[in-house]
Amino acid sequence: MKLSIKDRIGPRCIIKEDGQKIFDEIHGPLKKGETVTLNFDGVNQFASPFFNFAIGQLLKDINETDLRRFLQIESLNETGKLVIERVIENAAKYHGDKDYRKIVDDILEQQAKESD
Amino acid sequence: MTEKVIKINTLNDKPEHFEQLFNIWSQVNNDAENVRFDFSQCSFLRPNAVAFLGGLARLIESRRGSVVFDWDTINNSWVRATIRQNGFAGMFGDSSPSWEGHSIPYREDRSLDLNGISDYLTFNWIGKGRIHVSDRLRDDIVGWMWEIYNNAFEHSASEIGVFSCGQHLWRKKKLILSVVDFGQGIPTNVKNFLRQYAAEDNVARLKSKYCLEWAFESGHSTSIGHVARGIGLDLLKEFIHLNQGKLEVYSNDGYAIIDENGDRYEDREISFAGTIVHITLRCNEKLYQLKDEADSP
Repeated sequence: MKLSIKDRIGPRCIIKEDGQKIFDEIHGPLKKGETVTLNFDGVNQFASPFFNFAIGQLLKDINETDLRRFLQIESLNETGKLVIERVIENAAKYHGDKDYRKIVDDILEQQAKESD
Repeated sequence: MTEKVIKINTLNDKPEHFEQLFNIWSQVNNDAENVRFDFSQCSFLRPNAVAFLGGLARLIESRRGSVVFDWDTINNSWVRATIRQNGFAGMFGDSSPSWEGHSIPYREDRSLDLNGISDYLTFNWIGKGRIHVSDRLRDDIVGWMWEIYNNAFEHSASEIGVFSCGQHLWRKKKLILSVVDFGQGIPTNVKNFLRQYAAEDNVARLKSKYCLEWAFESGHSTSIGHVARGIGLDLLKEFIHLNQGKLEVYSNDGYAIIDENGDRYEDREISFAGTIVHITLRCNEKLYQLKDEADSP
């Protein structure tokens, strides 16, 4: 399967709604182990919300190794690649069940140390 | 009904000038205020002040109040020319013709308008002629700046939208963008998020500077759901360091500054309900050397 991003959403890969459209098209084939190629020719503006939804959320049920194996990226400049890499790294370590109580305790401990 | 006259002083972008803006906000932060802004003591307005005053006017109007910008009180020709040129005066009742100069327009967004905001950044902010960057670099910068608007709309819960203005300091070769919202503020948003998981007493004790620091760390987000977020501000920070620029955030009583001296977070004496993101970029393309452009023959 090969998708031209410019044909699907235009020259700006920025908003999460467009990312969701791409996710909806590629999630099924990738889950079945099909190779998907995203071609970014003609796309010139990038921001993380698009990639969080298009690619980051694939990691909720596809492991990183399979994602890197089956998802091919073409004609994406270095900036776009940097954003994708950050999105994948972030999504791979993301857990919806973070211990926020501990986070608050840690911040309070830091505050207390600084006020000593 | 009584009209409150607020004198606008000269407003630059030093911390004390932001404090003056928050003082003005605190004077009109009630329902049904009738306010007249007097510019007789104003000899300079940075875009942070323009965006803030525009947003404040909309905030007052949204609370059944009224606002008059008394253009007849302007004594300073630079101020008059600037706010006519950037469209601010025309948007608030000045009947004099505006003209298309080098000013970066004042802008109001009620919703996250992909093409409107992207075009503004691409063609009216960085692309306004005096800054010579490649199209590729311009597009990259637009992507980093988008993260500010995205955060403002996604997290601020501002009912009146987002207000922005910019300026080229062409002698200093700097480019400024100020984005203002009158929403809940980042520290309040972080606390409201953490309240779902931690004891109220503990959350209430969190200082704003730590809430801001938490929000700026990679992977931290107050968005709920199955999609990982929280890298936008981190990417923006990296870009600011690369550019040797400056990113300042005033939100509630918290203040963050990211510049060549590192990242610092502070609590300030004065607070306001909302967030100002104020960015100063250096207009030197050598600072932005893009890896793949550098590698090309």
